[in-house]
Amino acid sequence: MSYRLVARKDFEDVVRSKMLWSILGVFVLLMAIISFGIGTNDLGDATWVEILGLFNSLGAQLLIPVTALIFGYMAIAGERQSGSLRILFGLSHDRRDVVFGKFCSRVAVMVVAAVLLCLVTLGVALALFGVPDVGTFLAFAGLTVLLAASFTGIAVGISSLTGNRAKAMGGAIGSYVVFVLLWHPFVAAVHYLSAGELVGYDAPSWYFLLLRLNPLVAYRDALGLLTDQYLWPMIGWSTIVEDVSMEQASGDALLLTNRLSGDLPFYLTEWGSVVVLLAWLVVPVAVGYWHFSRADLN
Amino acid sequence: MTAIETHDLTKRYGDVVALDGIDLSIREGEVFGFLGPNGAGKTTTIDLLLDFIRPTDGSATVLGYDAQAEADAVRERVGVLPDGFDLWERSSGYRHLEFAIESKGGDEDPDGLLERVGLEREDARRRVGDYSKGMKQRLAMAMALVGDPDLLILDEPSTGLDPHGIRTMQELVRERAADGTTVFFSSHILSQVSAVCDRVGILDEGELVTVDTIEGLRETAGAGSRLFVRVADEPTVDLEGIEGVTDVALGDGSVTATYVEPAAKATVVHRLVENDVDVLDFEIREPTLEDLFEAYTNGDLKVTDGQATKASPSATTAGSADVASVEVDR
Repeated sequence: MSYRLVARKDFEDVVRSKMLWSILGVFVLLMAIISFGIGTNDLGDATWVEILGLFNSLGAQLLIPVTALIFGYMAIAGERQSGSLRILFGLSHDRRDVVFGKFCSRVAVMVVAAVLLCLVTLGVALALFGVPDVGTFLAFAGLTVLLAASFTGIAVGISSLTGNRAKAMGGAIGSYVVFVLLWHPFVAAVHYLSAGELVGYDAPSWYFLLLRLNPLVAYRDALGLLTDQYLWPMIGWSTIVEDVSMEQASGDALLLTNRLSGDLPFYLTEWGSVVVLLAWLVVPVAVGYWHFSRADLN
Repeated sequence: MTAIETHDLTKRYGDVVALDGIDLSIREGEVFGFLGPNGAGKTTTIDLLLDFIRPTDGSATVLGYDAQAEADAVRERVGVLPDGFDLWERSSGYRHLEFAIESKGGDEDPDGLLERVGLEREDARRRVGDYSKGMKQRLAMAMALVGDPDLLILDEPSTGLDPHGIRTMQELVRERAADGTTVFFSSHILSQVSAVCDRVGILDEGELVTVDTIEGLRETAGAGSRLFVRVADEPTVDLEGIEGVTDVALGDGSVTATYVEPAAKATVVHRLVENDVDVLDFEIREPTLEDLFEAYTNGDLKVTDGQATKASPSATTAGSADVASVEVDR
């Protein structure tokens, strides 16, 4: 039970961080500027879900993962480096209490932050388009919270695998680089090696599954399916490492339901994304704990 | 029952031996000094006792519990003041104590703890990030006392403390020991260990050089104490006959007397004055930790001039309180 004490103590400390509130402040400011810009345009037949597209590129692909990594990577490694872990042990907490307590607290902080971001988004939608569809909004909020939690899991997992700040930071930055920059080209390379040619507009479903294992893609795919629009990643790899022309990539043509015929297999539905995000929430921290529980902690 | 027992406790990092087959047995209720220079393996030993790291070889029990298999049971009964720690700087001193009390299931009054370690209530309301090193040390000491542990492990507890703080800490150790608490006190400062400890273990480069009572240690240390007197010209006085003086060296303008009895110092100076020798100055050179190692490993004590005062831990690190406590003890 003593993980709860560790979690509560840690939560108090993290929510007092000025950096956390600064990052959230920057997000609110950006959303305000952008919605003001949109508000002065002719909205035409645009609907509120386009705000979610905006949220995806600004919040989900960038701010949330980066914030979660920043607030997670020092969770364990920081205590280990500074020696406060010895104080925690001296106060009769054990390794499991420390990892699980820190994990719970950091996830809680990021869930709060994600909920706040969703509320800001809701505010923008209300101001520009009126009341959105409740079911869609809740699904969006749920996915966003899950994304924030899974990146925290990744960060805490990395943190418990490393013994100092430099390594933990390297791991955190590295993981983001892998997800944003390397994942798609790597999966495209797998396809190239197995099929002997670049993947085209029509691609096998396993190709999309491999892409989907990336939590950022999982989120984007699910939100896209949910709102029936194609959401672009930070880097439009599809027109670079896939044999897809600009025309084929226009509008919502790259949406999964357009590229695959027939019903989507389960793992490519929104629920498939949920499973992927849950796995990222649990697996890295489990691996991290497994290592941490056996490690020399000096 | 023994409070701490280790058998062949060994920790290697690759080729580096941090701790080499340590056999220790510390009785319950004892104040045990763990003496050694920085890097001797003191913290490594403590880390092994608290299951912070795992031994390469050998085993340890703390309060009858296996340090590895029953680490939880150990930590519940032990209070730890680690060396080189950070606290949570955004929390107040009070919050730290509250957390310690909740964690240990103690029923202490935070204000009572503050008073015991000499922290002001006003300071306890401030965030710990603004604390000085000494204040952090006092707060951590208070946290270590929570839950009335059966064993207190203090790793270099005087770090960052001023002379007054060191005295408070030594009083605390004596007070807890009087209540039957076992205290494991690690330090690189000879005088601090001799001020409070019943027995002392000397660690050097991962090896336990000796375990001795404080009297035995003092005898060895005393055997090497030297009185260095600056005089106007070359004296021709017989000092060899003075009781407690083991060796005399007369040089041009100086007299160096090695003694085993503290009282011999005064007699030497007195004898010089009596014989109309112009005494310009005198100083006492205590053997350093390094000299002690040598004494225990080689069987005789050698104090090198110059190094003695310069390297004297009591003179360099701890300031006046240490000197005072040494004088009281001798």
